[in-house]
This record gives sequence, structure tokens and C-alpha cells, in this order.
Amino acid sequence: MTALTRDDYPLSINRPELLHTPTGKPITALTMDAVVSGELSAEDLRISPETLQLQAELAEASGRPQLAGNFRRAAEMTAIPDADVLAMYNALRPRASTGAALAELADRLETTYSAPVCAALVREAAEVYERRDLLARPTGDDD
Amino acid sequence: MTSTAPRQSTGHQQSLRTEILEARSVNLDGFVEEWPEKGLVAMESAFDPAPSVRVEDGRIVELDGKLRDDFDFMDTFIANHAIDVTSAEESNALPSAQVARMLIDPSVSRDEVLAVTRGLTPAKVLDVVKLMNVVEIMQGMQKMRARRTPANQGHSTSARDNPIQVAADAAEGALRGFAELETTLGVLRYAPLVAIALQVGAQVGRGGVLTQCALEEATELELGMRGITAYAETISIYGTESVFIDGDDTPWSKAFLAGAYASRGIKMRFTSGTGSEVQMGNAEGKSMLYLEIRCILMAKGAGVQGLQNGSISCIGVPGAVPGGLRAVAAENLVASMVDLECASGNDQSFSHSAMRRTARAMPQLLPGTDFVCSGYSSVPNADNMFAGSNFDTEDFDDWNTIQRDFQVDGGLRHVREDEILQAREKAARALQAVFAHLDLPPITDDEVVAATYANSSNDYPFRDVLSDLKGAQSVMERGITGLELVKALESSGFHDVAENLLTVLRQRVSGDLLQTSAILTADFVPLSAINDPNDYAGPGTGYRLEGERWEQLKKLRHVTSSTNPETEVG
Repeated sequence: MTALTRDDYPLSINRPELLHTPTGKPITALTMDAVVSGELSAEDLRISPETLQLQAELAEASGRPQLAGNFRRAAEMTAIPDADVLAMYNALRPRASTGAALAELADRLETTYSAPVCAALVREAAEVYERRDLLARPTGDDD
Repeated sequence: MTSTAPRQSTGHQQSLRTEILEARSVNLDGFVEEWPEKGLVAMESAFDPAPSVRVEDGRIVELDGKLRDDFDFMDTFIANHAIDVTSAEESNALPSAQVARMLIDPSVSRDEVLAVTRGLTPAKVLDVVKLMNVVEIMQGMQKMRARRTPANQGHSTSARDNPIQVAADAAEGALRGFAELETTLGVLRYAPLVAIALQVGAQVGRGGVLTQCALEEATELELGMRGITAYAETISIYGTESVFIDGDDTPWSKAFLAGAYASRGIKMRFTSGTGSEVQMGNAEGKSMLYLEIRCILMAKGAGVQGLQNGSISCIGVPGAVPGGLRAVAAENLVASMVDLECASGNDQSFSHSAMRRTARAMPQLLPGTDFVCSGYSSVPNADNMFAGSNFDTEDFDDWNTIQRDFQVDGGLRHVREDEILQAREKAARALQAVFAHLDLPPITDDEVVAATYANSSNDYPFRDVLSDLKGAQSVMERGITGLELVKALESSGFHDVAENLLTVLRQRVSGDLLQTSAILTADFVPLSAINDPNDYAGPGTGYRLEGERWEQLKKLRHVTSSTNPETEVG
């Protein structure tokens, strides 16, 4: 498939055939009848990693590399359960994690969730936190 | 800001004119002298760094006079993520006056400006906008706003957290034209019911209006994940490392959160503003605008699509110093000139003077921004749980008249009383049905009648707060989602409202609302900086208030007929 251009936006109108739910249903299956008959679950109303990659292509084509990068991290995060996403966010708060804990988090993102872009962000944070004294001290080393 | 007691005259007789001036509302406002050493200065400080940048091996090694080893985390994040390394040295070498002229020159396109601004350092951006007076800032905004079509955002809250009020006021606000509606709470545990009410009311007023509930990060994200709200914006960032840490975050934690929202298909913008660092006691001796520019570039680097700025809840601080509102206009321009969606403040109340309140909004209203207010109180200010807004329901007709006077689109319109009553009643009825369907504390017919004709929370029967809070808790425990709301509306005969909400929910599957400056039109077309890019190129181009929309905005509560001067049109 050729890369998307600005003319493909909005995908919901111009390229609906590209859009699927994480459960594999086409977006056109999200009808009122399907809601009423109970065929749809909340899972059907989530965005899929593939769609986020498409939106990243559109952001890139519109000259917004940082936004595209955010969508790529987001595509990886679709695999992470809600509670874990929040726990990871909390782990990145100042002095919330030791260097070792952030290194583990980065490894887990890479191995468990195949999320190398997110892992790189966490590793970068760990490096900066160390330099700026924003790591938690290992247990037993409290003042 | 509260003002100090005015200096009393001692023994000298005061003129009658002075007495009148002393009694003017503007003299209840607080004003202070600048104190640059503490950062109490808008945008002209000798303590701000001079611009500089040096790139080695594809990496920024010097930024605004600091070497990489001395970078704080804001410098590091901005250097690593916000600034385009390939163009940085070249762009920063351009004379600031040349960049400032590009911003206002209609023969230079928005894209050509962006090709330069993507490489600028924070101090260079400051150096550029410092050259611009407020009219030039507005000219810049007119061209650099990301979305061609301006819009507005409203606050829909209740001093009693009354969900019926929030639903009715959301319906009226949506009908009047707000593209986004935001709520928050007095009692946080009420959030699920009020967020549901906001969503239902908004979809009654005008399908496709986007809603949010401002809460602490975790709950806000959860309501979004469940599809009860559609977007989020109260993700605060700060311009100094020390204040950022006081807020218990870092640029990396916030960047991670930005990804988390997008991963659930939820539109999100960050929030920042001049004055927050000095108000939180650690501006590190830098001007308010310099620190805000760091926030803006941090947001850009995080890959978030937009920013709510324009001092926001700290507006009393820039409002108190010389040139403060010029700096506020400049910070909106900077967000737009680095290609972020800008929800441009004009929200928290800051002045007792009606004249000053109006003047404060002109730099955003006249050129147009992505959201002129972020937001406008679509409830009486006494009910505004964001601590009051610069404009409220009493100002609706003034706002509409100003739009008509200047032929500018501030996102609102006059709506006839019968339409408003109908929407308010329908919103209250729809919420009544949803509550019944979900086995939540009942809404009585008396409450529906009250909602139809009410002005403020005082005009409603009291709710049983304990039952409501139990109901709110059960919404969370039972895992109720936007889908349940659709079912409830559909099964109780509110088919059109159910369809509207389902269409909004379906949008998150497409991700179209994640792109810069996206809103949904009444026809459910996502309108963003991609398919509605600002193409201003001088007189006669860009967004013009004309055609059907201009006809709408010509209407006011009282306009005399030209054919029969004894009657009014509308």
C-alpha cells in the first residue's frame, strides 16, 4: 500500500475501508443495530495500533514529525492494559523510581509489549533523571 | 487577584472627579510593579538568556547560552525533541526582525514560516515576538492559527454539581455554538454523573460537540477510556524544572501520558500559561513569556497536538504587570507559530472592569484562534467551578453583538428562546431516561421543568446528594461506558441523541480527532489543520465570515426590520 497523503484525511470519511477495531471488525460494523443487539463491546470502540500508524503517516505527511512520534508510541501502548499504563506513568514521576526500576520498565516495554519507541523514551528519562537527581533512592538507602 | 487597600489621601481634599474614578471597577483590580529578579515581569527582562544554538553530530550541544552538561530537564527535552536539528543553526542565524516580518507578511505562507520556526530556540522565539506590538501579534495569529475555521469552548458546571443543570446548560451551550464543552466538579465523587450529563446534554444541543471533565490525571483518563468523555486538556506543564517537579511530573512523564491518551483514541492538549511559575514561587528569575515559550516547545516536543494557553488560571499575574496582556497574546501566537492547536485562554476571570474584560479578548477574538475561549462560562459565573470565567451567560448578547459589529466569528450565535427551551427540556428528559435506564437516582418531572427555565443552580430542586454519590460510585463499579449511554438513549426513544453519541464514539476508532486542531462539524466531519488548513494570504483570503454563517451572526435578540420599523426580525 502506498503511504497516505493529506487528501486521505479524514480517514473516517475518505478511507473507511482501512479502519478496523482492535477486535477485527470494520468501522462500518459499528452501527446502532449492533449496539442494541449487544454485538458490540467497549473493546470494539477502541482504536487499533494499525489505525494509529495510519494517523502517524498522515501527521508525517502534514509536516508534524513529533505528533507522528506520539502516535507511534500510542500504537505500542494499545497493547498495555489501562491499569499498567497508569502505573507506568506514575513510575515516570519525579523520584518515583530507581534507575534500576526504570531500566526494568524499559525492558518490559520492549519484551512484553514490543514497544521499543516507548522503551527509548523511558531510557532517556532514566538518563536525565540520574543527572538531575530525580531518581528514587534504592530501598534501604533512605535518609 | 484581590487588590490591596488603596492609599488613602491624607488631609488633602479630593476632587469630585477623583472620587468618581476611585469608585470605578477597574480600581478594584490589582496592579504591581515589575520585579524581574523574581520573574514578575511579562516579556522584557535583562535576566532572560540570549539566543544561541550549536549542533554537533546531529545533536544540539548548546542552547541559549548553556552547554549540554548544564541543561536542566526542560532544555534537554526541548533540545532532544522540539527543535529541528537540521535547520536549527540556519533558522537561528536569521535576524529576529526578519522572522517577525515573515510572521505578518501575507506573501509569506504559513508553511514557509513553519519551516523556520521549527528550528528556533526558546530565547530566539522570545527575541522575535518581543519585536511585535499587539496589532502585529494579531496579524501573526490570523495567519498562523492552525485551523482555518475559528471555534470556541464553553464551561458547563454547577455549584451544586447538579447533573440536570449540567445537561441543560450543555445543550444550550452546544446550540449556541461551542465546539467543545468542559466540566469539572465541586465534589469530585460526582464526576461520573456530571460527565454523563455533559455528554448527553451536548449531543442533544448539537451532535458532534466534544466534551471533557477536568479531574486529576488518572480519573480523567479513565472517564475518557470509557467513552464517557471525548477529550482532555487539563494536563499541566510548567516552564521551570523546579515548578514542574512541584507539579509531580517531568516532560517525560507528560509525554508518556500524551501517548496514553492517543492510544485510547482520545483527543488531548496540554495546559500552560504565563505567570504560573512566578505564582508557584519559582520562576528562576526569568520572564513569564520566556518560561511559557519553554512550555510551548516542550508540548511540541512531546508530540501533543495542542495546548491550552493564555495564562489560564494565572491571568491575574500577567494582568497585574505592565504589558502583561500583550505577553498573553504573544504566548497564543507562539503556540500557533509552532503549529500547535491553541485554545487561547479568555477563561478565568481576572478583572472587575467590563471594559478591561472585553479588551482582554480582542487579540484572540479579532484574528480568530482555534478556540477563542478555553472556555467561556456557559453557566452563570456563580456556577462556574473553574473559579469563574472572563465571560459568562450574562455576556452572551454582548458577545453576539460584538461578532456582528466587527464581522468576526467568535464561535457563538444568537439562538431563539423557543429553540433554547426545547433543547434544555429535551436534554433534561434524555438524562432522566438515561438515569432511569441505568438505575441511577431518579430525575423528577419537576426537575425537568426547572431545567427548562432555569438560569442558575439556585433554580433547581435539591438533589439527594448521598444517593447521587452512591449512583456515581456505581457507575464506576459497574464499568458503565459510553456504549451503555447509547443503549439507554436508544431504548428510551432518544434515537437521534443516541446516534449522535455513537458517531462521536465511532470517531475514536478512526483517530481522526487526534490530528491537530480537530473538531467535529454538525455533519460529523472531522475538521482539523489537515483538511481545513489556515490558508490566510492577505486581504480577501483565509477564513472570512460570509454566506450562511454571516447571516446567522447578523441575528440578535432585537433587530429592527428594515421593511417594517414597527417590528423586529429574528
